[in-house]
Amino acid sequence: MGKKVIEILEEGSGEIFSKITPNEFREHMREKVKNAWRDKRTDIKTAIRQFVHDGGYLTMGGVSFIRLSMAAVHEIIRQKKKNLNLAAGTRTYDFNLLLDAGCVKNIDCGYITGMEIFGIPYVTRKRAERMITSGEMGISEYDNASMAFRHKAAAMGIPFLPIRNMMGADGFKHSAAKKIRCPFTGEELVLVPAIYADVCIIHVHRCDIYGNSQIEGALNEDLGKSKSAKRLVITTEKIIDTEEIRLSPDRTLIPCFYVDAVVEVPHGAHPTNMPGMYYVDIDHMKGYIASARDPAGKDLEEYYQKYIYGTENFSEYLKRIGGKKKLKYLEDLEHLRVRE
Amino acid sequence: MKKKDYNIFELMAIVAAREIEDRAIIYIGTGIPMLAASLAQNMHAPNIVPVFEAGGIAPQMPTLPLSVGCSRTTYRAIRTCDMPEIFEMAQLGIAHYGFLGGAQVDQYGNLNSTVKGEYNAPKVRWPGSGGANAFGSLCWRTMIIINHEKRRLVEKVDFITTPGYIDGPGAREREGLPPGTGPYRVFTDKALLDFEEKTKRMRLIGLLPGVTLEDVIENTGFELLISDTLKKVPPPTREELKVLREKVDPHRIVLSRGDKET
Repeated sequence: MGKKVIEILEEGSGEIFSKITPNEFREHMREKVKNAWRDKRTDIKTAIRQFVHDGGYLTMGGVSFIRLSMAAVHEIIRQKKKNLNLAAGTRTYDFNLLLDAGCVKNIDCGYITGMEIFGIPYVTRKRAERMITSGEMGISEYDNASMAFRHKAAAMGIPFLPIRNMMGADGFKHSAAKKIRCPFTGEELVLVPAIYADVCIIHVHRCDIYGNSQIEGALNEDLGKSKSAKRLVITTEKIIDTEEIRLSPDRTLIPCFYVDAVVEVPHGAHPTNMPGMYYVDIDHMKGYIASARDPAGKDLEEYYQKYIYGTENFSEYLKRIGGKKKLKYLEDLEHLRVRE
Repeated sequence: MKKKDYNIFELMAIVAAREIEDRAIIYIGTGIPMLAASLAQNMHAPNIVPVFEAGGIAPQMPTLPLSVGCSRTTYRAIRTCDMPEIFEMAQLGIAHYGFLGGAQVDQYGNLNSTVKGEYNAPKVRWPGSGGANAFGSLCWRTMIIINHEKRRLVEKVDFITTPGYIDGPGAREREGLPPGTGPYRVFTDKALLDFEEKTKRMRLIGLLPGVTLEDVIENTGFELLISDTLKKVPPPTREELKVLREKVDPHRIVLSRGDKET
């Protein structure tokens, strides 16, 4: 009898920027989870120095300009991390800042640069175009769904997931996906490779000192991401007692054994939206987009100088964006007590 | 209402909202799709289920969301979840409509939101698919909103981000996409269009107020089919404009952008 094989009908030419290593990951997790009940509190400088490495694969939580770990992004930029491979599904402001700061080497693209309703920052778009054309930045093409399923595959401890989109699209050709004939139904399916990331950073509403984390609002890809990175840094609005976690375990979305570091950063998602706490800083975002209109890039450079390079830490940054008064306004905006 | 009493975003949102039937489950992209869905929800379709890819299911949007993940997309929702769950629902066949924009569309409803020019040497690099590819692949019917310009309604898109009928009847199925899916309506600032059953080519079925047939043909980059029963789309009513302006987007977050283009 001839060997029965699953037929690969078509495959994309895109590169895989993260190694698919389920067995190695198992070994890693076996050891890592022994630290489940360690007090993981640290500061952002230490966490980034310890866990984000040049040339590593980074994936970040939140979505678009919602619940982004901006304190972490600022610190990555200040520490001048280089050659990062980036999971770039549903990325906006965080991606733009890292790209402009020269931290990015390769991307798995689902959605980049666009700020949805605010438009695309011109200077950053031009930079992306230049870097793609010159080959300075490697890019494989996906979409938000396939990127989410790639994270989910890794979180399931498997090397890929079959999905039902990407067929007939040019993105497929520039991805590392493969089209096969399903061994059960005979129909065509697309397989997307798992992303086992080196490090994931997620901003949450609250967690305890061990990293048991609770999140409100849309979860986007965070369940998959949090479980499939070798190192997970949680930045949190607030650290709460484990007893509080135990009162509502159904609210816990990331259990502590996935977590490596816990950093308390109140308002750590500003200028992005923290659902239930504070809304998008619309004026700040408009100012940022406007600064990216200057084709020479000077205005944008000034923006970065003022808010990132020129600040030592996130509390200093929060003063620059308008301090307590602004933060109070954003809380009121979130709770519909004031007009946009 | 006379033409000068509304802008093109208002017009497109209103025309699109009319096509949304009550009780539909509808996947929504940023911008005008949000306006249209929210308007329909506040008018004739209170029981639609708006779904946002980041994880919001059936919210009652208090103001217009700025993003497909912002807290307005989970406000008084029935559930919040993660993105895999949202697209698993679409794979299961739960999503009646996907509602999208794009930078280019061709006669088969293929959408481009990735690049102008070559992929590896783009003249313009747009954000890319976002949720679009999965919306257009998995939802039963895809609704497309785009400005009616020759550079947007093109003979051939530079890049198929989201497949429409690809190159004609049967192509989606041959590629392995779920059967029975595909583009359904196109809403522009000049016309209402659908896809002719046999050829799967885009067909003009309605002219928006004040627009002539010549105007549409002149601004379309490919040969349009024209329906035998071409109709004139009624202008926005006072009620539609009132709800759109007072309830849907009271701060004119998206609507104001239509002022510039009108």
